[in-house]
Amino acid sequence: MSSSDGGLMSSAGLVRYFDSEEDRGVRVDPKTVVAFSSLLGIFILMLNAFA
Amino acid sequence: MSWKDTAEPVLTRMPAVRRPEGHVPFRRKLGWTAGVLVLYFFLTNVSLFGLGTSTDAFGRFRSILAGSQGSLMHVGIGPIVTASIVLQLLGGADLLGLDTQNNPRDQVLYQGLQKLLVVIMTALTALPMVYAGFLRPAPAVAQSLGVSPSTLQFLIFVQVFIGGILILFMDEIVSKWGVGSGIGLFIIAGVSQRMVGGLLGFNELLGRGNDGIIATWVRVIFGERELSGSLLTPAGIQDVLLGPGGQFQVGLLAVFTTFAIFGIVVYAESVRVEIPLSNTRVKGARGRYPVKLIYASVLPMILVRAVQMNIQFIGRILNDQWAGMPAWLGVYGEQGQAQEGLFYFLSPIQSPTDWMWFAGFGGGNEVWEILLRVGVDLTVMIVGGAVFAIFWVKTTDMGPEATAKQIHGSGMQIPGFRQNTRSIERVLEQYIPQVTVIGGALVGFLAVMANMLGTIGGVTGTGLLLTVSITYKLYEEIAEEQLMEMHPMMRKMFG
Repeated sequence: MSSSDGGLMSSAGLVRYFDSEEDRGVRVDPKTVVAFSSLLGIFILMLNAFA
Repeated sequence: MSWKDTAEPVLTRMPAVRRPEGHVPFRRKLGWTAGVLVLYFFLTNVSLFGLGTSTDAFGRFRSILAGSQGSLMHVGIGPIVTASIVLQLLGGADLLGLDTQNNPRDQVLYQGLQKLLVVIMTALTALPMVYAGFLRPAPAVAQSLGVSPSTLQFLIFVQVFIGGILILFMDEIVSKWGVGSGIGLFIIAGVSQRMVGGLLGFNELLGRGNDGIIATWVRVIFGERELSGSLLTPAGIQDVLLGPGGQFQVGLLAVFTTFAIFGIVVYAESVRVEIPLSNTRVKGARGRYPVKLIYASVLPMILVRAVQMNIQFIGRILNDQWAGMPAWLGVYGEQGQAQEGLFYFLSPIQSPTDWMWFAGFGGGNEVWEILLRVGVDLTVMIVGGAVFAIFWVKTTDMGPEATAKQIHGSGMQIPGFRQNTRSIERVLEQYIPQVTVIGGALVGFLAVMANMLGTIGGVTGTGLLLTVSITYKLYEEIAEEQLMEMHPMMRKMFG
């Protein structure tokens, strides 16, 4: 029995059912999340440095 | 019309990270995992813009809640854990009416509700942090920008809130595109960082008071630092065991406790009741279903700790906002620690200095007060550990009924019993509930013990337990991934 039975994943109490996820609603590319976070971090660092 | 129909349009359309199409190669998975980890560390080092002085509202719970005080990652996984407590309690009491075991629509609804709750909890955690004075805006920055301090306060709130949401999305990237889970990763990253610091840190690099175990004892041996007495006197022995000057993290007892907890958890992971299975069609094909002692895993523990954390959080907000707070509710010290009253008794023991009255610690409280506090902490953790373990097993479909269906569905039976779900369920019912309760209570007990005796780097018992078991799970998952990678046939078999 593989551990991914039913596509269930859990962490810190979050229970996930990715397999039954439908592609309605907004779907974000992981690269977008990484890029947004990095830019936000750099932006705030710069604000801290100049303001 | 049930609440489900009303909420469906919203809950099924929550923004999410795109799922990968097809198989992601193992190397790519490692890449995403490492990338997100680096990003997380970077963000923990970005200080909030416009922040003046701050106190950590999480206090000593920080080590299990990840994140970093005063940074973009200020809330850590706090809101996520709080949201899942609410869901676990609702789901465990069957108040949601969602069948997450068989119905894909209900699974999506559950997931959507979970995400919505995390967003709400992020706001609810960030609001008091900013507006109850834990994160104060810097007047100078407000002046130079030409805005009022309340505008700056709002800006700080927005940053904390966005940071909290980013944690949720980073976790989703790791869960979908990487190995393990982001939250688990953030917890072990924080705990490991503290442990390495507690072992190898030294003052010259990190500033005063950051000597790790090795540096402390090298200094003692070379006479740079004095013990309170020779090794033959009680005071000297106390210094060796509990660390010089009550720095319990560098005492030998902390080293011993840390290794003992490692050993016990790794051993307990392997303790299991094995239920024999045989295939209904193929004679001779046998298998076993393991019911592990730590069946529900250590994760429910974080929920109990978070309940305690939220109670302390409320106590501190009350203390801050309510000048006439009666003494029976709580009397607070300078560092925002409850010293007397209800909130003192409800605050968990975090280190040997909280209770070892016979060694001159305990913060000046009476012995009975200390004992009562220890008693409350033990009771909460043991009972709470068991209760949340039961809920956890239920919500993650590891209970007798769900497991019996899985076993039956894979064409197996228990030899000597009828070939139906009900008979498998009846056998499992004799083990799973008992093992869950015993395992949950044991983990709770271990967490309290580790805190009472101290750990390397002061990472707390729960932090240590979580780290060991998350690392163990991660190891198992990586091993499985590699197996699949090397044998493409296996991938077809397991899907």
